[in-house]
Amino acid sequence: MTGATAAADAAFIRCTRLTKVFRRGDTEIVPLRDLDLEIPRGAFVSLMGPSGSGKTTLLNLLAGLDGATRGELWIDGQELSRLSRDQLARWRAKSVGIIFQSYNLVPVLTAYENVELPLLLHDLSRRERHERTMAALETVSLVDRASHFPRQLSGGQEQRVAIARAIVADPPLLLADEPTGDLDRVSADLVLDLLGRLHRERGRTIVMVTHDPLAAARAPLKLHLDKGALESTRVDSVSMEGARTAAGEVAP
Amino acid sequence: MKFLPFDHAIRNLGRSPKRLALVVAGSALVSFLLLGAVAFARGMESALAATGLATNALVLGAGSEESVERSEISPTTAEALAADIDGLAQVAGEPAVSPEIHLALPVSPLGRGAELDAPPVLVRGFESMAFAVHPQVRLAEGRWPARGADEIAAGIEAIAKVQGASLGSTVLVAGEPFEIVGVLAAPGTAMHGEFWMRLDRLALLTQRTTHSCVVAALGDADFDDIDAFTAMRLDLETVAMRESDYYARLTEFFAPIRMLVLVTAILISTGGVLGGVHAMYAAFASRVREAGTLQAIGFSRAAIAVSLTIESTVACVAGALLAAAAGLLFLDGLAIRFSMGSFGLSVDGPAVLAGLSAGVLLGLLGAVPAILRCLTLPIPSALRS
Repeated sequence: MTGATAAADAAFIRCTRLTKVFRRGDTEIVPLRDLDLEIPRGAFVSLMGPSGSGKTTLLNLLAGLDGATRGELWIDGQELSRLSRDQLARWRAKSVGIIFQSYNLVPVLTAYENVELPLLLHDLSRRERHERTMAALETVSLVDRASHFPRQLSGGQEQRVAIARAIVADPPLLLADEPTGDLDRVSADLVLDLLGRLHRERGRTIVMVTHDPLAAARAPLKLHLDKGALESTRVDSVSMEGARTAAGEVAP
Repeated sequence: MKFLPFDHAIRNLGRSPKRLALVVAGSALVSFLLLGAVAFARGMESALAATGLATNALVLGAGSEESVERSEISPTTAEALAADIDGLAQVAGEPAVSPEIHLALPVSPLGRGAELDAPPVLVRGFESMAFAVHPQVRLAEGRWPARGADEIAAGIEAIAKVQGASLGSTVLVAGEPFEIVGVLAAPGTAMHGEFWMRLDRLALLTQRTTHSCVVAALGDADFDDIDAFTAMRLDLETVAMRESDYYARLTEFFAPIRMLVLVTAILISTGGVLGGVHAMYAAFASRVREAGTLQAIGFSRAAIAVSLTIESTVACVAGALLAAAAGLLFLDGLAIRFSMGSFGLSVDGPAVLAGLSAGVLLGLLGAVPAILRCLTLPIPSALRS
């Protein structure tokens, strides 16, 4: 095994010539083109870029919500393109927590029930589910809002419930799509503090798509996409030394 | 496969009360109409079955096996039958043999004009033995008509057919006035909707010298003997059938009407189906993003489809239950009058089952377009919707 291969195998996320093509009639749209990228386990990555740069497409591929047209995508040793739709659903339940810009809470369920939802996909007793749900709500400081419905919560509280839902099943990968996009500064800071804590204290790998430079600044590893390709990479922390792109664009 | 909790589907029902009301109303309409159609068929079948007894033999004109109203036999038939057949049931030492005339005649209220254009009602000419061969009939009020008098007895449903008719009032039968002197009851049979007058008076009214049929209570007699009697007495030109067989054939004769009612109910209920499916579609279409979120969390499309189907089925079954309750309350026993008598709608087990099945089916199939809309979109598109 060469040194490069060994390093690649150590990567938590590895994209090799990852390409996504959408066809609309005769028009071909390529939001991602031959993307090579490696992200180590435990990294907190911000993904920036102009609209149409491919960042949301990349996030969807990382979440197993969409399939790549070409190339390989390995996450934690699993090549996603080899999984069927149902296998992908099971993989998501086990491996990924997703945080959406508009929270996407189920309106007829309380905060508690929304957080508990992913646990229904696991073989857990009611008591175990309760303990984990309450722990997740405690992490986001919303135990006192457990019985509230989404309409009874502020935007910041809704997003914190969504984060609790994303972490409750203890997935190794958290993906956040503009998690502060709909929030005021104070609520956004609370959410970003929370993500930072999950990264520091629990070692979660976090990939966050954002337009907000202040949000991006919280992530030690910053990736910038443009026209479906990686334009730049910046590492702000020594803990991110393992982060590399295939092109070797690592900035101090 | 891991499913969404049942109460998730139930709670979703309350998200849009107007759409829920539309789905429930659509399902209720469909179920009610189908329940009504089946109640119609069941009521007709049961009334005709109850009218004809297997212990009675019916002797009528050869070639008129399909309709006793078209039958004409010699007035001597009853006497000959009574003399020839041993073992017939006896009443006061006399064989229970009832010569009868069955005719559909216009019956109208007195003084309204256009008497002969009134809708026809079955008028039965009877003699006293009629009560021996038709034990289902009893006098509810008044008395039986006297021989030769301008008197008539009316079945409870027959009175309802003629506006203003009541015990003691006079009605026009084929243009001639008759006083209603008695009210007869034969619940559950076609006779409940008939007028009865004395045989001689009906013969006089219609200037008829023949009878329609003879009904004989078999008692210990063998039906085959009566069959043989009609075969041997070629001069009488009659055939014999068990009375129950005659009404069974009549039931078959009316099968196209029952089918027509069913088809009409299905056609009308199409509106309810479309309304219900459309409301369901609209309710689910607004939740495409939620379906995408559930898939993103890790629920399979099948699990979400099951949850949506439960939701749709519960709403439709609620409508069907309302329809069943309304059917039992408003339709059961409702009299349907037609020329040869009347029958009550029968909202029995099969009718309720048909209504509920329609609700369940609507719930299961009605959710399909909405489920396809929700779950065929790629997840990223669903999350953006």
